[in-house]
Amino acid sequence: MDKCIEIIKGIKAFEEILEQDVIDIKELQKLAFNGVPDDKGLRSLVWRILLHYVPKEKSARESTLFKKRQLYKQFIDEIIVSPGGPADHPLNISPDSSWSTYFKDNEVLLQIDKDVRRLCPDISFFQSATEFPCLEIVNSNGVKRLHKRVEQSVLKYSTLERRGLGVAKIVNSNGVKRLHKRVEQSVLKYSTLERRGLGVAKLSNEIRRSESITTGDYAPLNEGCEAHWEVVERMLFLYAKLNPGQGYVQGMNEIIGPIYHTFAIDANKDYREHAEADCFFCFTNLMAEIRDFFIRTLDEAESGINYMMSKLSECVKRNDRAVWDRMERQELRPQYYSFRWLTLLLSQEFSLPDVERFWDSLFADPHRFNFLIYICCAMILLVRDDILSGDFASNVKLLQNFPPMDVSLILNKAVDISTR
Amino acid sequence: MAKKTYDLLFKLLLIGDSGVGKTCILFRFSDNHFTTTFISTIGIDFKIKTVELRGKKIKLQIWDTAGQERFHTITTSYYRGAMGIMLVYDITNEKTFDDIVKWLRNIDEHANEDVEKMILGNKCDMEEKRVVSKERGEAIAREHGIRFMETSAKSNINIERAFSELAEAILDKTAGREADADAARIAVERRPSRAPPARACCS
Repeated sequence: MDKCIEIIKGIKAFEEILEQDVIDIKELQKLAFNGVPDDKGLRSLVWRILLHYVPKEKSARESTLFKKRQLYKQFIDEIIVSPGGPADHPLNISPDSSWSTYFKDNEVLLQIDKDVRRLCPDISFFQSATEFPCLEIVNSNGVKRLHKRVEQSVLKYSTLERRGLGVAKIVNSNGVKRLHKRVEQSVLKYSTLERRGLGVAKLSNEIRRSESITTGDYAPLNEGCEAHWEVVERMLFLYAKLNPGQGYVQGMNEIIGPIYHTFAIDANKDYREHAEADCFFCFTNLMAEIRDFFIRTLDEAESGINYMMSKLSECVKRNDRAVWDRMERQELRPQYYSFRWLTLLLSQEFSLPDVERFWDSLFADPHRFNFLIYICCAMILLVRDDILSGDFASNVKLLQNFPPMDVSLILNKAVDISTR
Repeated sequence: MAKKTYDLLFKLLLIGDSGVGKTCILFRFSDNHFTTTFISTIGIDFKIKTVELRGKKIKLQIWDTAGQERFHTITTSYYRGAMGIMLVYDITNEKTFDDIVKWLRNIDEHANEDVEKMILGNKCDMEEKRVVSKERGEAIAREHGIRFMETSAKSNINIERAFSELAEAILDKTAGREADADAARIAVERRPSRAPPARACCS
């Protein structure tokens, strides 16, 4: 009961701030730092504000959103819908030839396509249909669909099976691609695992991931429909096209994923309808702050990933010398585990709801992303006993597959470290 | 401190373009399991498997790397310590095969000179999508004097074999360096009552 009252009070506190004519950002940060309630699309709006997309002046909100959403529509039209095939000759070797651009784009697209089809496989969300597909694209007889462009090289058997294409091929495949074969195989896999008595607990994470995959594929949907992963693919392609200096780097899918998910499940229909456009700009703003993690030539720069990793190492050293010594002695380098933690803002380490809770605090951190260092340090300190007793291999495994843990435990520890 | 439960430790590295199936190959080998969709590898991942070769327990410490260019500064730092490198391409994707040359250059630049190499043409179960013939794979391997195999993590073709051949090649080298007397020592060491080995700490 008390908990209920707490939650209602929490929601009310947010609503009051969000109703202000000019939102007090500092107050909002303070509040959001302790977590944004899942209810009433609050998180979705708060993130839009903290990521500097929705202006703090209430009067400017509508018009800004309208303008940005129009702009996004224009991006889609200019970059994806309007261009026909390249106009000049395919053998034109000039670097500016539209064919050369087309082929280069396809390479980027191929990479994006591979990655969006392996985004958050442990939930079905990204494989399901969006309520608001891009109509010009989904009703184009497949012509405008991005994945169509790279289909030659990425079309998977699973896709073939789902869509019932190339039946003759499947029939003539010695059963390799028949559905029941796959089922047989996976049954076999489990029994083999059991027989061999392999560490079930340690595998559970990966099996959980793969189980959900066998039930749902990242297959393109029929004409008129569009899966959420296709929406993500479009946003990432537009981002790569509009930011040619940076392009697409693996892992960006893991950054855009949680933002899009939060926006696309908003309780407010209007916001849900524009989840794609809003997410695109929020992602762009977020990337402006963390893009250096994704740029190889900036690895050594003060904003680069190596500097972040050494900051983390320093933080551990300051707070738990014994653990730090142990990891040093084992030559357990920060890049073995924290490269991914930091680059992806922990999005591959925890389940989606937990990631969203962590991101409330990260986005609310006025000195972004100091608090990320404290969270990572807290994670290490919370498994210190295991690290102190484990050998190199078990410690790398532990940190690369961080055990499920109560988010608030980690966050409290991180706050504790930050105030020391 | 945990007792050492193996005789030798080999460090292996998997490299190759993004999406060729490195993680799937490793997962098939270490856990005998296959899934079509893995989250993409960011930076570097890690698995351990102990195999038995010629009566010796060999612990394979296998590092799985991200394929995309961006991660090369991170991943190339692992080349130096590797005793064996598996270079993977996808037989249904021409570019991943073309890039083999680039990966070999990377190995030359960053790995130990005597590192054992092997080229794997993965996804060989997808015959109707094949664009790189087995002959071309064999040719490039021959040209560089490297072992070659076509594999399928999905259909479990040659995965076990690839790892044992690579491990065996490393074992040959290691054995060659050891004095003959060592063979006898190892035989003694493998008795249950063996004395704790010198390097019991990190694996």
